[in-house]
Amino acid sequence: MRKLSLILAVLFFACNSGKKPDEQAFLESLDSTKVEGPAISEEAISSIIQQIPSPLEISVLLKESGTKYDKSFLNSADNISKYNSNYRKSLNLGIYGTDLGYTNIYEQNQDGLDYMAAIKELADGLSIGQFFDIETIGRLATNSKNLDSLLLITTQNFNNINHYLQEQNRANLSVLLLAGGWLEAMHITCQVAKKNPDNKELRDTIGEQKIILENIVLLLSFYKDVDQNMASLLNEMQKLQSEYEKIQIVKTYKESTFEVVDGVMVIKDNSTSEIKITNENVQNITNIISSIRKSVIS
Amino acid sequence: MKKVFYTIITACLFLIAGTTVKAQCNAEQYTNACIPKLASGFNFLKSYKIDGQGGSKTKVEYSYVFTKGTQYMINVCATGESTDGIIVSLFDSNRNQVASSKFNGQFLSAIAYPCNTTGIYYIQYTFDNSTQFCGGSALGFKR
Repeated sequence: MRKLSLILAVLFFACNSGKKPDEQAFLESLDSTKVEGPAISEEAISSIIQQIPSPLEISVLLKESGTKYDKSFLNSADNISKYNSNYRKSLNLGIYGTDLGYTNIYEQNQDGLDYMAAIKELADGLSIGQFFDIETIGRLATNSKNLDSLLLITTQNFNNINHYLQEQNRANLSVLLLAGGWLEAMHITCQVAKKNPDNKELRDTIGEQKIILENIVLLLSFYKDVDQNMASLLNEMQKLQSEYEKIQIVKTYKESTFEVVDGVMVIKDNSTSEIKITNENVQNITNIISSIRKSVIS
Repeated sequence: MKKVFYTIITACLFLIAGTTVKAQCNAEQYTNACIPKLASGFNFLKSYKIDGQGGSKTKVEYSYVFTKGTQYMINVCATGESTDGIIVSLFDSNRNQVASSKFNGQFLSAIAYPCNTTGIYYIQYTFDNSTQFCGGSALGFKR
């Protein structure tokens, strides 16, 4: 009788949760990947996470501006052995993700393969390695004609990882992944801007990151009471935010107009935004970013 | 004893059936179809599932930070070639409507937006005489 009750209880639990008991146990056994829980709902966190733009946009901007590929800006794939906690793995997964995107955009596929191997290893360590089919990606990476497919697959993979982590109530790792990716994109942009101090577009790109930084700081703040590492990163990001307080983004709204071209609604944005940023601001931001990044990658 | 066993099994089956009803909108198939439909030169950024839960939801909304100097394209895919009454509208950070894919009674399948103002934008999907209340969308960009 007791045996049967136990079987029925397990059966009922399995039906109800939609997960096999061993899968449930495995998910629960994941150590610090699950923090106690932020004070705000996972749904609210997810909606902020989705606003953060892909670092790929910055890589494309750098290439379009005529900036040459520079491997020395990137975090060496050999540093992977230093990343032995979930916190460091997640942050550096984001950093390597940006580095991979950068190599992809510049068609440096051999370097890209090194980052892909490092990414796969970090992802395995975080139990999300299933999103990377190294064989397919490696095949695409050997031929620059496959660039579009390579970009598509890697972008999709990172999007899927973010969704998966949020579904698994591991949004803290998703926040770190995005923060790492953003930090690296900022680092590369700042280093390029350092070499091209007269490039207004680069300065503006650095300035308009004020909006993204606000989101990242907000996301990290949700975890400050439950995760010491995230609290410490938040502290560093807030120093950066203090510098960003000096930058102004002035918007002028004017109703948009449009026309239909080949079945597509093409908008003409008549509004404008102006970024008020000085070279001194850029230099200070560059220094703070370098300092934060150094502590994350070393 | 057998009675208890069968009651619980039946309860389980109802729970499974309930889950199936909720999972009727397979939005992923539409997002997958939408990504290749981004116009040439656009890089894929994000895909969005549009699940109106059989009509019980009147809108589905996402947000994203658009950057000045970048062109964005948002397309919509649903059953067949049509958008099944799904309209995509874009709002700026102050909730001013920037664009809508419904024009002169026509449901356009995509909007292109060369962004001139950096900021948070809201991408909203609504339903107008939709039959499935289910679709997918892709966001792409180019410089």
